[in-house]
Amino acid sequence: MWKVCKYTLIDLARNRFALGYALLLLVITVGLFMLEPDNTKALITLTQVVLALTPLLALVFTIIWYFNQYEFTVLLAVQPLPRAAITRAQYIAVSTALVLSFLLGVGLPLMAWAPGPVAFTLLLTGSALTLVFCALGLWIAVRQRDRARAVGIGLATWVTMMLLYDTLLLWIMFTFSDRPIEPLIIPLAALNPIDLSRILIMLRIDLAALLGYTGAVYQQFFGSGGGMLASAAALLLWALVPAALATRAFARKDL
Amino acid sequence: MDRIVIEGLGKRYGRQWALRGVNARFAPGEVVMVIGPNGSGKTTLIKCLLGLVHATEGGIVVSGKPVGKDPSYRAGIGYMPQLAEFPRELTVEQLLRMMNDIRDARSGSSDDRLINLLGVDALLDKRISALSGGMRQKVSAVLAFRYRPEILVLDEPTAGLDPVSAGKLLDAVMRARREGATVIITSHIMEEVQRLGDRVVYMEDGRLRFTLPPELIAEATGEKSLSAALPKYIAQLPPQHVEGL
Amino acid sequence: MSMATMPRLWTMALALGLLADASAKTWRHAAPSGLNALIARAQPGDTIRIAGTVAEGTITLNKRLVVLGEANAVVDGGGRGDVIIVSADSVTVKGLTVRGARHGNLEDMAGIKVSDCRGARLIGNTLDRCFFAIYLNNAHGALLEGNHVNGDEADPDRMANGIHLWKCDGITIRGNRVHHHRDGIYLEFVTDSRIEGNHTWKNQRYGLHFMFSHRDAYERNRFEDNGAGVAVMFSKEITMLRNEFRKNLGGSAYGLLLKEINDARIERNIFADNTVGILVDGCNRAQVQDNEFRGNGWAVKLFANSTATVFERNLFAGNTFDMTTNGDLVLSELRGNYWDRYNGYDLDRDGRGDVPHRPLSIFALVAERMPFAMVLSRSLMVNLLDQSERIVPTLTPAALEDKQPLMKPPHGSDRH
Repeated sequence: MWKVCKYTLIDLARNRFALGYALLLLVITVGLFMLEPDNTKALITLTQVVLALTPLLALVFTIIWYFNQYEFTVLLAVQPLPRAAITRAQYIAVSTALVLSFLLGVGLPLMAWAPGPVAFTLLLTGSALTLVFCALGLWIAVRQRDRARAVGIGLATWVTMMLLYDTLLLWIMFTFSDRPIEPLIIPLAALNPIDLSRILIMLRIDLAALLGYTGAVYQQFFGSGGGMLASAAALLLWALVPAALATRAFARKDL
Repeated sequence: MDRIVIEGLGKRYGRQWALRGVNARFAPGEVVMVIGPNGSGKTTLIKCLLGLVHATEGGIVVSGKPVGKDPSYRAGIGYMPQLAEFPRELTVEQLLRMMNDIRDARSGSSDDRLINLLGVDALLDKRISALSGGMRQKVSAVLAFRYRPEILVLDEPTAGLDPVSAGKLLDAVMRARREGATVIITSHIMEEVQRLGDRVVYMEDGRLRFTLPPELIAEATGEKSLSAALPKYIAQLPPQHVEGL
Repeated sequence: MSMATMPRLWTMALALGLLADASAKTWRHAAPSGLNALIARAQPGDTIRIAGTVAEGTITLNKRLVVLGEANAVVDGGGRGDVIIVSADSVTVKGLTVRGARHGNLEDMAGIKVSDCRGARLIGNTLDRCFFAIYLNNAHGALLEGNHVNGDEADPDRMANGIHLWKCDGITIRGNRVHHHRDGIYLEFVTDSRIEGNHTWKNQRYGLHFMFSHRDAYERNRFEDNGAGVAVMFSKEITMLRNEFRKNLGGSAYGLLLKEINDARIERNIFADNTVGILVDGCNRAQVQDNEFRGNGWAVKLFANSTATVFERNLFAGNTFDMTTNGDLVLSELRGNYWDRYNGYDLDRDGRGDVPHRPLSIFALVAERMPFAMVLSRSLMVNLLDQSERIVPTLTPAALEDKQPLMKPPHGSDRH
């Protein structure tokens, strides 16, 4: 597995889209900090860009990469390798490449302009989101025969998690606002990896407001060691489960 | 002893059988040409052998090992797909090294004759993305022959090659045969089939219709060339059994 | 004569008094008891140096004396009542460590209590876990400088106010550090006084608290992590300049709470990481200018019962909500502030946005009703919601808008 992984990474290191991704993030981040006279605002804008962009690009990149790589993957499947090793190697290689691109593009300028707990959380959750959506992208790609259809499903997944899910949440809140749904809302939000990442960052940015609410549920839920651990575990599951599903689907697939 | 034993092999996609009731045995030192119209099941048959497609029923045994979850039987297989694609940003040398690593091949154990024969040695520093289609086919051929496979599976091997390289490749096939490999080739070029094949496997509608040496087919129809003999031979076959299809 | 110059005059008067007093003596006291007896023998204008620990209950300074603590000088009241009472004009107490005031809610017992006199000077003393630490009652022209007032870290609930003023005027409170008390500095009926360069933190209630006090100024103080921040209530003409209000966090915590005050000037302060930056409740003619609001939950909560409040050239960045209000009719004005949420344009390049900015957020209203909606804060959906509300206000008062928002933060970082 590591052999496949190694050469796939060498290939990806020269991949123009992976490099382009790093460059795009670099331009966005540096541009934000240069053009935006206020660092706080730049950081908050960057947070929103990262929360939207990393899932989208991880999905689309992984799907397109999988289909570009398909013939070679078939050749690999003819080698004396278990199928699972191929998928794992590809997942590790692609997600590593994208995480490195992300850390390069966002991490470097962030360390220069706005180091601190928010930046740290942003880098951590951005990396986690990359891992999650690489896995989802791989799963989608493996299950589809048609590239365009796979990209379409990827985009739909992104819109759902980015927008529709939150709309649904708000709808639930308004519809059942007279019932004790409060304990339900936070776990429900935390089910969506984008929301969970956003909440983890928000806990730092909007801490002052959150502490204004009696009960300080958010602090209890996420601020405690257990909550942090649960959040990390949830994000990890969001990466591992689709990756495992992709591995299984690929192993069973007729190539 | 037969190197490849195919028994009752069937593959169904949805409700459609792509392959059904295929039985065949292939020996060491034998060149098998698989022919048949498009959609006849040639590709599915080969993919089953390579482990790319999971059989719905029946099975294949390769050198005593069943084709299935354990990938180790594939160590003895060399495969040259019809259209070879490799990671675009690797150099040819890196690609060769990657395959070496995957095969755990020690230097010296691999067969590098084709590298020089096909002129791939001049391409070692080049990135895959800089190669033409023909060059990639040559690299693909090198990879297929490199680990002295017991079984060579070549899918339209000469399709993208210039005549000189095609000739060299077919020489390599004959050499592999002499050294005891079982070679399975799909081809549309009847001259090739006639010249190389010890046996012709004819597929139609997911069924294996016959396996015969090419000279017997020619004999039966009184034609000299296989391209002329084959249509005649097929025409006189009894109509296809359709149960279950 | 300006009341603000009073302390200096008192200092001069004291100096002149000492010079005139050719027979002034310096005493040294280094015994656990007998200090009150020594005070009885001393003449006005004399100096008493104290070494070691004095533990004879309440010490009363009832004549014009200078009391100086040598290193390790401690006056311990033993928990019997007040520790030091100053009841004569122009007394100086300097460099003492004072402890052992009695705790109890029936009487206001203090470490140093100054009553009904003029020109007291309390300088560089340490007040260690006294109930009230420094207590001025009907004092005039006193100076409180460089004292360290520490309450009880282990049990701050049993502490009263650190520095407590009642019916005073012309007081200067400068460079003191007050922590772990109830209110850090408390002023009631205090006029024409200055509070500057103090640092209060971790007090149970307010870092600084004005009640019914007028024409006072506080400047360059730091208020951090107090229970509820700074409160200015029922007061007039208070000037608040260049202070820092930080990390006042909690359900009813404010950087600054303004209640029923008139004609306040609030300028060049920093409000950072507070649950509420400023709460403006029932105020008239407050000038809020050149302040910086960063990372607060609500930068400004402006109640609709306030009139003629002007917000000008302030910076709003990284706040969860920049401004909220509770009514439809807002009689306050926003002029040329910097809002990090503003995304208008400046075609004529005059540094001011060409379209107005409405700082009220519809999501703030939603979160007000359903606090758990905060899980959606800064989501794409909420941003879209807020953007559309800014373009077409439906639920928030349209009148509250900044017609010429700044394109760049005002006056950079050279605030202090």
